[in-house]
Amino acid sequence: MSYTLVVAEVRRGVFEERNLDSIGIAALMQKSIVLLMPDGAYEMNGNLVDTIIRTTVQEEVFLNPLNFITILEKTMNSRGQPDLIVFTHSSSGTELASYTAGHFNMPLITDVSGFDKEKNVFYKSYYSDKIFGEFRQTGSGPCIVTVRSGSFKEHIIEKGPAQTTALEDIALAEGRTFIEYVEEETGAIDITKAEFLLSVGRGIGNKDEIADYQELAGLLKATLSGSRPVIDKMWLPKAQQVGTSGKTVKPKVYLAMGISGAFQHIAGMKDSDCIIAVNKDPEAPIFQYAHYGVIGDANKLRDKLKDIAKG
Amino acid sequence: MNLLVFTKRVPATQEEELRIVDEGRGVDLSKVPFKVNDWDNYAIEEAVRIVEKTGGTVTAISIGNAESDEVLRRAIAMGAKDGFLIETDQVLHDPGARASLILNFLKKEGITYDAIFTGVQSEDDQFASLGGILAARLGIPYASMVIAIDAFETDHVTARRELEGGLQERIKVMLPCVLSIQSGINEPRYVSIMGIRKASKVERKIFKGNDYEDNVIPGIEVVKWVYPDKKGGATMLDGELDGICKGLLGILKEKGVYQ
Amino acid sequence: MSIQTQTRVLTCIQCGKCTGSCPEAGRTPFNIRMVVRRKQFQHHIEESIPWYCTSCGACTIRCPRDVKPSEMIIDVRSVMVEEGDIPATIQKALENTFVHRNPWGRSRAKRGAWFEKLDFEVPHVSETVSKRLLFTCCIQAYDPRCMVIPANIAKMLNKGGLEFGVLGEEEACCGNEIRRIGESGLFEELQEENVAAFKEYGIKEIITLSPHCMNTLKKEYGDLGINVSHYTEVLANMIKEGRLAPKTSYSKKVIYHDPCFLGKQNNIFDEPRDILKSIEGLELLEFSRARETSLCCEGGGGRMFYEAETAYQRNSEIRVLEAVEKGAEIMATSCPFCVMTLEDPATEKGLAVKDISEILMEVL
Repeated sequence: MSYTLVVAEVRRGVFEERNLDSIGIAALMQKSIVLLMPDGAYEMNGNLVDTIIRTTVQEEVFLNPLNFITILEKTMNSRGQPDLIVFTHSSSGTELASYTAGHFNMPLITDVSGFDKEKNVFYKSYYSDKIFGEFRQTGSGPCIVTVRSGSFKEHIIEKGPAQTTALEDIALAEGRTFIEYVEEETGAIDITKAEFLLSVGRGIGNKDEIADYQELAGLLKATLSGSRPVIDKMWLPKAQQVGTSGKTVKPKVYLAMGISGAFQHIAGMKDSDCIIAVNKDPEAPIFQYAHYGVIGDANKLRDKLKDIAKG
Repeated sequence: MNLLVFTKRVPATQEEELRIVDEGRGVDLSKVPFKVNDWDNYAIEEAVRIVEKTGGTVTAISIGNAESDEVLRRAIAMGAKDGFLIETDQVLHDPGARASLILNFLKKEGITYDAIFTGVQSEDDQFASLGGILAARLGIPYASMVIAIDAFETDHVTARRELEGGLQERIKVMLPCVLSIQSGINEPRYVSIMGIRKASKVERKIFKGNDYEDNVIPGIEVVKWVYPDKKGGATMLDGELDGICKGLLGILKEKGVYQ
Repeated sequence: MSIQTQTRVLTCIQCGKCTGSCPEAGRTPFNIRMVVRRKQFQHHIEESIPWYCTSCGACTIRCPRDVKPSEMIIDVRSVMVEEGDIPATIQKALENTFVHRNPWGRSRAKRGAWFEKLDFEVPHVSETVSKRLLFTCCIQAYDPRCMVIPANIAKMLNKGGLEFGVLGEEEACCGNEIRRIGESGLFEELQEENVAAFKEYGIKEIITLSPHCMNTLKKEYGDLGINVSHYTEVLANMIKEGRLAPKTSYSKKVIYHDPCFLGKQNNIFDEPRDILKSIEGLELLEFSRARETSLCCEGGGGRMFYEAETAYQRNSEIRVLEAVEKGAEIMATSCPFCVMTLEDPATEKGLAVKDISEILMEVL
């Protein structure tokens, strides 16, 4: 009996939200959905899949690709081969998926963001996301995909309580071992590593406004950065400058407040995934590069955001 | 220490407008400038730094057409000892097929190594899989998204992997192994034009790609190339300040940066 | 360092005229006289120091011994470039230029976007009889704020009946800043590419829109047998000949800032002023440091791509404050680097910065 195997992405006791996209694409396949995950107290909605296989190993063991292939082998020995194996497109998901594909000689399509049931093709982005390829496997047998976050979760279906089975006796590989987790150093700020930058420009007015922006950044879990005039005036340190003579950044979200969009600044952030610009001037060049825009007073918007985020 | 680093010549598409041609069968890259894959550049730099400390050599390998020689010269200018070109005009989209090609090549040419580096992904196809597939086929350990190599000993590596949200995991990987190198692991040295000219004096060995095509069968294929849904200019948020702010927070949630 | 540089450096008598003219002296750690001194003894120079130089050329112009300190800085930088040990932002600008033929990393295919939007055809230079080329600066080709400059000038040349053509995407960065950053190999590549295009299309005359481009095409590309001029020379001439005539009045106090590469390095001081003086109602003001002693805006010499670690009051701000003090309503200049560097502090003080072509366009 064919089924879709979803491999859970878990980290430090958390069942990642991205798994909903994996379950979503599995739901589209309209086969029985089997969720493979390590044992542990994970907060999750078990009613979205038909079967949950709990592997009696620690999380870090499960996430080690050298062990995972053993776990998968055992799973397939007892249930047969799935039509599709789904991982999240993430640090661990893609790592497991590629090693699995290599070991079992299965075709792999990563970062899938769409599926057309009629054409039976998966959509995968190419060339800086400017072109999408309609991909499918050339042969038959199980196919592996990693799915892009946010792409499929609207397809999840409530099914009712899932069956749970255990998978035991996994022989551990020695070629790779987990040592420990390392937290991000909270010393020097590295804006090039931030996922979310809240960037301020000359338009915020004066140095006194910075403290409130710091507060907002804290509430939104953003990292503060600035354009060159702000650094020249020493409202923010040099390490937080975005631009041709500062740092080039590519965060998921770049929220530009009071920044007009001078050429040298744009050059430092134009490749950000999502640019949100707030500026009083409707002609500000930054709106030509932004995905979202607000014409208004950045400081007023900041205060309102703080109220809503706090309350 | 004998390190192999795979490096790829890729189209620089970030700023370009791309056209799909041939009724969806191809993408016109004729006017697009090419350059070294950013991640591979970090991988070469890291490998060179390691052998500068431990001794040994870095061999850069590229699969591509004759012009891929460009990235090999660059690798040599950065400190690689050799550059091997596996020449093929065919574009192998399937990372599984590329891994098979490499496997055949390594076996047939009797190439030995202590570790193999790849970049986390290619800027063109963004598959992020070659290293993992290759490692599994070679039967050796693998770690992706390596953001730091803490120690490179004779029989193992201690490295850190980049996870989500600023978290890292420290792992021990036995040699030989495959590592995919994440951007930001180091600051690659600048390679000057004169430096590249000097590197041209080092012979780059050319191998014919079709000598290694045994069992290289793509497991996936592209049926058609299509454009993504058209994005216009900036979507303006207007109305009451309260509504704008809520809308903004909604966008942040959707992007996954705010809960 | 090259033999020539080492020889010249040894003739230095440490008079200090260079530091006395340097726009970076006193406010930054950069002391050019001291750098020459250290180079005389082949001593180490702290790695951030060479990157302060703006290539204004004042030191080289005023040196009584032909030491050419600004050239020495280029030499020092080129050693660092070959070693690969240069600031990350400079590295990025160079790598962008290598791949895209402009330091901003913009698409080469879009280099001609500025003329595609005009309401008249701008021919490729090969299609012209005069083989007169309009050569744009990379900034003007890609920055929305500066794109109006080539657009305006094209319109004015058209109006005045002066035939010209463009190279479009065949145009590569002139390399003036690249040479000053010390990447001589890359500069040679750009030069070869541009010269090949000039030769292929039989170009006889080049009108440059940036003093930086004019400087390098005229003085550093070798003897091309091509007449290279800056657009202010051309427009001033067209006004003198009556081919262009400012019609409306412009009752504003305009202060003119001499760009280093136009003024002190190439002695073009009068033509921009002639253009401004030909406009009725325009009151032309002068800075205390004007013409040969004009204060460098700190945009050149790679400074667009390098930021000093030390915080200090920028020359651009000093210029703006003086302009305000003198009662100016507009700061006029004729270099896109000056426009970009002056505009930030100027906008803050409520002062507009305009390229000469923008002012002229308003009154024709």
